[in-house]
Amino acid sequence: MSATPGRIVIVGGGVAGVSTVAALRAGGYDGTLTLVDAGEFPYDRPPLSKDYLAGKRDFEQIALKPAGWYETQSVRLIRRAQVTALLPGQGLVQLADGTTLPADRVVLGTGGTAARLPIPGAAEVGVQVLRTVEDAGRLRDALPAASRALVIGAGLIGAEVASTLAGLGCAVVLADPAAPPLAAAVGPELAAWLHDQHRTRGIDTVAAGIASLRRTSRGIEALLGGEKEARVVDLVVLGVGMVAATPLAEAAGLEVDRGILVDSAQRTSNPAVLAVGDVTRSRADGTQAGHWDAARRDGERAAATLLGRPAPVASAPWFWSDRHGRHIETVGRMAAADRTVVRGRLGDEPFAVFGFRGTTLVGAVSVDDTFAVRTARRLLDGAIPVDADLLADPSTNLRRLLRG
Amino acid sequence: MSGTGIRVAALDDIPEGEGITVDRAVTGTEDDIALLRDDDGSVWALNDTCTHETASLAEGWVEKGHVECPLHASRFCLRSGKVEGLPATRDAVAHRVEVRDGEVYLFPNETSS
Ligand SMILES: Cc1cc2nc3c(=O)[nH]c(=O)nc-3n(C[C@H](O)[C@H](O)[C@H](O)COP(=O)(O)OP(=O)(O)OC[C@H]3O[C@@H](n4cnc5c(N)ncnc54)[C@H](O)[C@@H]3O)c2cc1C
Repeated sequence: MSATPGRIVIVGGGVAGVSTVAALRAGGYDGTLTLVDAGEFPYDRPPLSKDYLAGKRDFEQIALKPAGWYETQSVRLIRRAQVTALLPGQGLVQLADGTTLPADRVVLGTGGTAARLPIPGAAEVGVQVLRTVEDAGRLRDALPAASRALVIGAGLIGAEVASTLAGLGCAVVLADPAAPPLAAAVGPELAAWLHDQHRTRGIDTVAAGIASLRRTSRGIEALLGGEKEARVVDLVVLGVGMVAATPLAEAAGLEVDRGILVDSAQRTSNPAVLAVGDVTRSRADGTQAGHWDAARRDGERAAATLLGRPAPVASAPWFWSDRHGRHIETVGRMAAADRTVVRGRLGDEPFAVFGFRGTTLVGAVSVDDTFAVRTARRLLDGAIPVDADLLADPSTNLRRLLRG
Repeated sequence: MSGTGIRVAALDDIPEGEGITVDRAVTGTEDDIALLRDDDGSVWALNDTCTHETASLAEGWVEKGHVECPLHASRFCLRSGKVEGLPATRDAVAHRVEVRDGEVYLFPNETSS
């Protein structure tokens, strides 16, 4: 990229957009910086299925940055505003109220929306999803009158919602046809154990999809695949993934394939437009991270690109999930493993599972043992060879192992 | 606070790259104190509770002048407590530390520089 652009507009105030803004200013960018977000005030999503849903945190406590930050960083924050068109040819971004913002470069961090399934009866019973703080608010509001809930989809968000609802005293049915869910993300052994944790916490786990929903005087009747008898619940939550929010990009003629296609510098097919976070998909390998840390790092990479600097050092994909009072972390690609070793005993927290392909470490998952995953992350990032038996031995000091 | 500080640990109690917690009953501070030892051997003190949620920074990963929270990997500067990475947004409180004859002394609520 030639000279540093004078005016940058960021669309979307999720972690990807906000981290782009923060990294630009931290990197010394002194041009005009505008962040446009459709919501009330840029906030963080992970708490929505955890403490926020449980009512343990309020909106202010999940802000990505405190209110004064934007001002001190000289960032113009335009809230409650929908960007309706990108006009890269004219160097403009258009808002729903007709205003246009001049932009030499645009960064799209529009995230995604909750995926829906075509379930017969879904509209009639008012199936809930969880992507935004408004969704979380609706769920919270429904809770006092709901003692029985059906959660459809036991991936990351479904599992967390089930855990939070159970913790609030709700009788929960958790349905997912995958057996066990998350096997690709955390490996089959740990996926099975994690899924079994729901059962031990009194959640009724069913290996089935949803066939139909119906509102009756008894409540919502939910018929699950392969079952004859409908389950009666007060609340249905759908957690079946995310759909990238690409309409703006498509209308602007960017290359989109279930996500805005980006290169390793976050550049889209239009040289004036970059994209970051959940809305993107890698042009090189087709991967779509969909996790918080990946979105944050995208922002840092986009900022480097805009500043004409080399990209920050890449790091293995990493994410966490909190459920049933346990903290789970994953790094790397457990799906690539052909062999695993356990540090500690599987099922006896804290413990961790390391995945190897041949003699090469490819991933790790931990339950209440973040040191294990943080070590694995550094081993992966540095391509440092490591002995599986050493990792598995709980008496090995991981911190020292890394220092060699 | 006294000019000599409070003896809170022996240097050897804190492995490089790791941390230990000192109870607030000992330090008289509002929070427990995380004594964090960088990989160059230097020792630093921050309020132990991550400003994001409720993790103990003493259980974090200490490296190259920073500590990374064990829960969601927020990063704080060991020297100043300044937050350097989301999701945390507030700085941690830093306290001055002195090492004399292999003993670690804490000066609660005094800053380092
Ligand atoms: C309930 C929940 C729990 C999660 N828990 C975890 C977890 O524990 N660990 C983990 O690693 N990840 C978790 N995630 C995933 C993580 O939150 C996402 O990866 C992250 O939010 C992606 O950030 P983003 O900035 O790309 O997109 P988003 O956070 O979706 O932000 C996009 C923003 O763009 C705005 N926007 C979109 N279109 C427009 C427009 N046209 N004009 C103006 N504004 C627009 C939206 O309003 C939104 O504010 C969770 C997600 C959810 C929903």
